[in-house]
Amino acid sequence: MGTEKATIRIQRFNPDTDKKPRYEDFVIAPGSDTTILDALHLIKTERDGSLTYRRSCRHAICGSCAMNVNGNNLLVCKTPLHQVLDRKGQVTIRPLPYMPIIKDLVVDRTAFWEQYMRVKPWVIPPDAKPEKEFRISPEEVEELHNAETCIMCGACYSACQVIGLTKQYIGPHALLKAYLRVLDPRDSAPAERLADLAGGDGVYRCHTIFNCIDACPKGLNPTQAIETLRKLAQKRKNFDQARKERQDKLTEPIQVG
Amino acid sequence: MTHSETITHDVIIVGAGLAGSWAAMVVGQQGVKDVGVLSKIHPLRSHSGAAQGGIAAALNNVRPVAGTGPRGPLEMIPQGEENVDSWELHMFDTIKGSDWLGDQNAIEIMVKEAPEIIYEYEHLGCVFSRMPDGRIAQRRFGGHSAPRASYSKDYTGHVLLHTIHEQALRHGVKFYDEWYCLDLIVEDNICRGIVAMEILTGQVVTMRAKAVMFGTGGYGRAFNITSNAFANTGDGVAIAYNAGIPLMDMEFVQFHPTGLYRHGILMSEACRGEGGYLSNRAGDRFMQNYAPDKMELAPRDLVSRSEQTEIDAGRGIGPDGQGIYLDLRHLGREKILSRLPQVRELAIDFVGVDPIDDPIPIQPTAHYSMGGIPTDVNGQVMADANGTPVVGFYAAGECACVSVHGANRLGTNSLLEASLFGRRAGYAIADFIREGGELMPLSGDPSQFGLSRIKKILDNPGSESVEQIAQELKRNMTDNCGIFRDENRLKLAGNKIAELKDRFKDARVMDKSARFNTDLLAALETEHLLSFSELIVGGALARTESRGAHSRTDFTGRDDDNWLKHTMVRREEGDRPQFSYKPVNIDWERYPPLERKY
Repeated sequence: MGTEKATIRIQRFNPDTDKKPRYEDFVIAPGSDTTILDALHLIKTERDGSLTYRRSCRHAICGSCAMNVNGNNLLVCKTPLHQVLDRKGQVTIRPLPYMPIIKDLVVDRTAFWEQYMRVKPWVIPPDAKPEKEFRISPEEVEELHNAETCIMCGACYSACQVIGLTKQYIGPHALLKAYLRVLDPRDSAPAERLADLAGGDGVYRCHTIFNCIDACPKGLNPTQAIETLRKLAQKRKNFDQARKERQDKLTEPIQVG
Repeated sequence: MTHSETITHDVIIVGAGLAGSWAAMVVGQQGVKDVGVLSKIHPLRSHSGAAQGGIAAALNNVRPVAGTGPRGPLEMIPQGEENVDSWELHMFDTIKGSDWLGDQNAIEIMVKEAPEIIYEYEHLGCVFSRMPDGRIAQRRFGGHSAPRASYSKDYTGHVLLHTIHEQALRHGVKFYDEWYCLDLIVEDNICRGIVAMEILTGQVVTMRAKAVMFGTGGYGRAFNITSNAFANTGDGVAIAYNAGIPLMDMEFVQFHPTGLYRHGILMSEACRGEGGYLSNRAGDRFMQNYAPDKMELAPRDLVSRSEQTEIDAGRGIGPDGQGIYLDLRHLGREKILSRLPQVRELAIDFVGVDPIDDPIPIQPTAHYSMGGIPTDVNGQVMADANGTPVVGFYAAGECACVSVHGANRLGTNSLLEASLFGRRAGYAIADFIREGGELMPLSGDPSQFGLSRIKKILDNPGSESVEQIAQELKRNMTDNCGIFRDENRLKLAGNKIAELKDRFKDARVMDKSARFNTDLLAALETEHLLSFSELIVGGALARTESRGAHSRTDFTGRDDDNWLKHTMVRREEGDRPQFSYKPVNIDWERYPPLERKY
């Protein structure tokens, strides 16, 4: 790296003026720690200001900048350019698949957010609140953390072949959020949630192809969450009963040791 | 992009981070159902989500193990045993952290209500890290004399933001994702709405409302090395100023001691809260020379100045000597993985260092804006130093100045402030609507100003790139209005900004299209940066003392006789800032100004 040139091939498309997407190559001289986002920023500010993409935090927490790079979905802010250049020093950047293109690398996420809304992403807590916190064990919290760090970037969603076939499928992102709610001891509606998730658009639509796991930039495992939801859906009456019993104890200290 | 339509809501909130989302949720909860929230990025992309280390409240869940000193291990406080923390202690720490510039009436409200809002978050589903008995875990933070930061590993802001956004959705709040506010409509000191652009189409819309709230975030993007997101361009602050609203204490900008070297990306203060060290090139823990008692857990202004002093003395690390080491190795693998997973990943991804094995190169980074739109404790924006309200206009969070942080904010007090005063603003707005707040008539077409701003930028053939101007501004602010300031450099900074403002008239954008024009957005944002940077520099030049984050090498002491007061600045005719001052709210009996030592 260093003074080597890199060719950034970018899919361009403005539906107002273009009949179909085309590729455009930009040759730049990246530094050793240039990220893909740095490269896009350089092209936008120095070559073509009409190049359009989303970005904000530039450290992998806001979820804005998921794109398809050489066929893989990733966050461009945290990915070093040299990691994705082929032997000819070239990389191809496209918008996330399976979503309509708004402009260049910006996609229309309406369907993505509709599925998020469908699973009612909010906790439905018990009516009776303690004066202080509900008591939850570190082990219970650890399970939730496996889903809570999802940044809704959409890398999994647009790597999912089932989503490619039907937008009716709830999708890995929203199922992971549903998992978070179902597993939360404070949630009072796990049975209703599981009933919906077990319907035609839910957990049984997953073909267990594992693309979502490969795509997740935060190292999360939507497939496993979906598997867990399937099992819980099978025995949701028992699970609901167990939740009710757990909730009776939510205000009591966890017995230590 | 020529005609404008009108949209009407009871309440319009600009910004969907913690402050805006709390207000929206509360307004919805209170039965005011016609609420629209605008955000230039999707709400879940808001920068509140980047906060890492924690949110402060004296919960008394943990205490230091007896006899282990200020950096020793923590343990649960057994049921019924004596508390180690109190709102009074939190209040004193915050006042001292603010270098006595924080308004004590506002601080008192914040620290007293703090536990309540943590519990409300918890009841709404926030996934806090826990102690073995199921209570919320807490850790130490700089400038706090008790372990009072509740946290969720090192993803605290992310977890809070998602929780509150979800709950706002639950209450039926309407979100306008990717809409950009261009102008605030104020006539006769009554706010009547805003003018905004739908980014997708480029269409400019007049949005009328009975009440408008800004929760638009901070202005750290005016600096070269910053922890802030691209989005943090201080839009709301600049828009309010240009609409004739005064701004307060703009010169107080916090530099966080641990931004990733050359990137500025935040390495949470929790790194030091959990026991991390800072060391210079010689391997010395230099904080013993600056804050022998608190060491690495001194407040941020002091630690950043200490780092910069080491760097300026040639004891920095890295090829340019501009770095310092943050050493976590002695914490051990398990603690790093369980408490600081995000920080570890960022260090690996951006500088190729695994903190388990090697120290992390860091440097001070522009982080937090203490100044902003002046409000009372209910988010009501004030038109002047006497507290005259701008009817129907509210603000909270980093864009506002209430002022609880004064000259320097303590870590974990910002998530608290944004949440708590966002919530208070929500209640105040709901009351305002229920008590008969009205949709006020508009005179003329208020969208003309916003339309003309856009037209001027798009029609300008221009000879210079917006980015060039933005870059020069940011370097100027970091070099000449950074951690250490003096008259010469501040004058240079002021002249440079005047030059850049002039050059901006000849700036060009390359994208002339209506659809999702981020080139145009960057130009509008840069215009905002130029607007308020002048005020940071002007306030800093006038303030001939050192207080909190404002450190003058030519006036090294705090000067309470002359400068124990807030800076107010208002835009006068001909775009000239007019500075005035306002007394600090101080309880002279309980919390009189003291020497600030750590």
